[in-house]
Amino acid sequence: MLVMVLIFYLIPLVMTVYLSFTSMKNWNVKYLFDLVGFYNYHRLFYMFQHDPSFKAIVLTTIVFILITLVVNVFGGLGLALGTFFLSDIVGSKFRLLWLLPRIAPIAVYSLVWYYFFHETSIGTLNSILMELGIIHQPIPWGQIIPWGAWSVIIFVNGLVGVSFGMIVFTSALNQIPKELVIAARVDGASAWTISKRILIPLLKWHLLYVLTWQFLSLLTTYCHLFLLVEWNLVNRDYGTTLALYVYNTAFLGGELDQGLAAAVILSVIGVSGGFLTLKLLGFEKMMKRPRGDV
Amino acid sequence: MVRIRLENITKEFGDFKALDGIDLEIEEGEFMALLGPSGSGKSTLLYIIAGIYKPTKGRIYFDDGDVTDLPPKDRNVGLVFQNWALYPHMSVFENITFPLELRKVAKGEIRRKVAEVTEMLKIENLLDRYPWQLSGGQQQRVAIARALVKEPDVLLLDEPLSNLDALLRIEVRAELKRLQKKLGITAVYVTHDQAEALAMADRIAVIKDGRLLQVGTPEEIYERPRHKFVGGFIGNPPMNFLNGFADRGILRIGKSTIPLPKEYESVRGEVIVGFRPHDVEIGEGIEGEVYSVEHLGREQIVTVSVEGEMVKVIVPGDRRFEFGDKVRLKPKKIVLFDKKTETAI
Repeated sequence: MLVMVLIFYLIPLVMTVYLSFTSMKNWNVKYLFDLVGFYNYHRLFYMFQHDPSFKAIVLTTIVFILITLVVNVFGGLGLALGTFFLSDIVGSKFRLLWLLPRIAPIAVYSLVWYYFFHETSIGTLNSILMELGIIHQPIPWGQIIPWGAWSVIIFVNGLVGVSFGMIVFTSALNQIPKELVIAARVDGASAWTISKRILIPLLKWHLLYVLTWQFLSLLTTYCHLFLLVEWNLVNRDYGTTLALYVYNTAFLGGELDQGLAAAVILSVIGVSGGFLTLKLLGFEKMMKRPRGDV
Repeated sequence: MVRIRLENITKEFGDFKALDGIDLEIEEGEFMALLGPSGSGKSTLLYIIAGIYKPTKGRIYFDDGDVTDLPPKDRNVGLVFQNWALYPHMSVFENITFPLELRKVAKGEIRRKVAEVTEMLKIENLLDRYPWQLSGGQQQRVAIARALVKEPDVLLLDEPLSNLDALLRIEVRAELKRLQKKLGITAVYVTHDQAEALAMADRIAVIKDGRLLQVGTPEEIYERPRHKFVGGFIGNPPMNFLNGFADRGILRIGKSTIPLPKEYESVRGEVIVGFRPHDVEIGEGIEGEVYSVEHLGREQIVTVSVEGEMVKVIVPGDRRFEFGDKVRLKPKKIVLFDKKTETAI
């Protein structure tokens, strides 16, 4: 176990941090000991100040994470609660439907949305809207900046992420004794009141978990974005997040030094963001105090 | 307070018939126990009265009003569960006031009602605590308070004592009965514990496999079971059963014969004879051999093997019995059951 942690976690972590202080390019060992101090970080900061493309990437990262996080967590919660009040059979079929994006390979899934949002009239969305007479010319949705590109990447990722929250919340809801819900129903509570007053307070721990997990996962996700950008469906600057920037710069551009500096910044944001979420939502309090017989 | 009338209640879950044509009347202010083994359908029946389940067939009346299609909230019932179902994130006060808040009762009125019900149940000092800070007995009182605070017409209890330890259970059951009588509320009490049903209920409805086998006072159910199952389910130890043959006022069991009481003189053919362990004298009658003896202080349970079947007899503790002793049993009160249908003759 320790060896695994060492090989797959500690060594890459130390290497990432170390190499971000060198001028490493294309894995060329001659740069391995060429220490450049904070140069790579300075450069990123400079780019943030002066390079509109990099500025757009940072802004996109913030908007993408915040909105997709809300969509994922509350969408998942809404779906779990919604299907909780449906009959078992209908509920599970409906939930299965939402799992499809997660089951489908990323390329296939991205391709579906590629054709859906395509900028010409072959795009499903364009053709529907044109058929209905709402628009007369196809709209290049992903190229409208910033909100067109953001909407597309948030939509595509949000749809996948929702299912994660839904699974966690559904299984948590199934652990809540059914008598609590029956008691509230007998007392006259509506589904909305039961959700608000009974179920959601009992899901606090799971909400915290999904929120933290999704935050970290959105911070590092780039597969769908990579395809959507490479296929030219969305604007390159407003469809790229920091995680994708790291990948593009370090592995495609060969500028490992700069890519890894961005990766370190991303990791610091991830760790501090994770801690902050746990702190804000009272993780310690929740772990210390018995939570009763739920 | 209402009178409950159940008419031909049938409930199916897919292919499974949980309840089959139940007819039952529960009088105003009556304490009715629904007694049966697990899976008999008694809780389903309770939930049908509460409105949680809708019957597949049949009607439910509260007094003369048909409530079959009414949702639970419009039936004004209080429900207490086996696990008490207290909301773990709410204090005792919040738990108890929850039903009143939903009814939008004024704050002053809420305080007055909570004070009244918590005083009655002696939990007025626990209002700030959370369920996990309470003992089982206290949680149970809070659950009852929550059910009573909205002044329901019917109090429905689903095995509310099962999670309490044995001593507390006996104490609480007396209190619960007293409370029900004091409030005069119609109560339906689901239990699988026959002692609980005998001790608390005005009448008992025995349910098995979704069918109502017998309804009667504890005395009737105990003394005159209408079905072999009822005799075997009620009483500790339960009723003894032996196969016999009745003919012209005589009952033959193996090699032994005993005279039949007058009401059974006309019975002829194969029967099952049932008798309570208390209602047997050791003297002359059915031949048997002592199999084991359990001393219980003032009395003892002697298990006697009769024609290969075990019969339990309760006799005073001062008599001595040894394993293998030949004894003769004389049942003082018997009930005959039809061999095929197992119903009382």
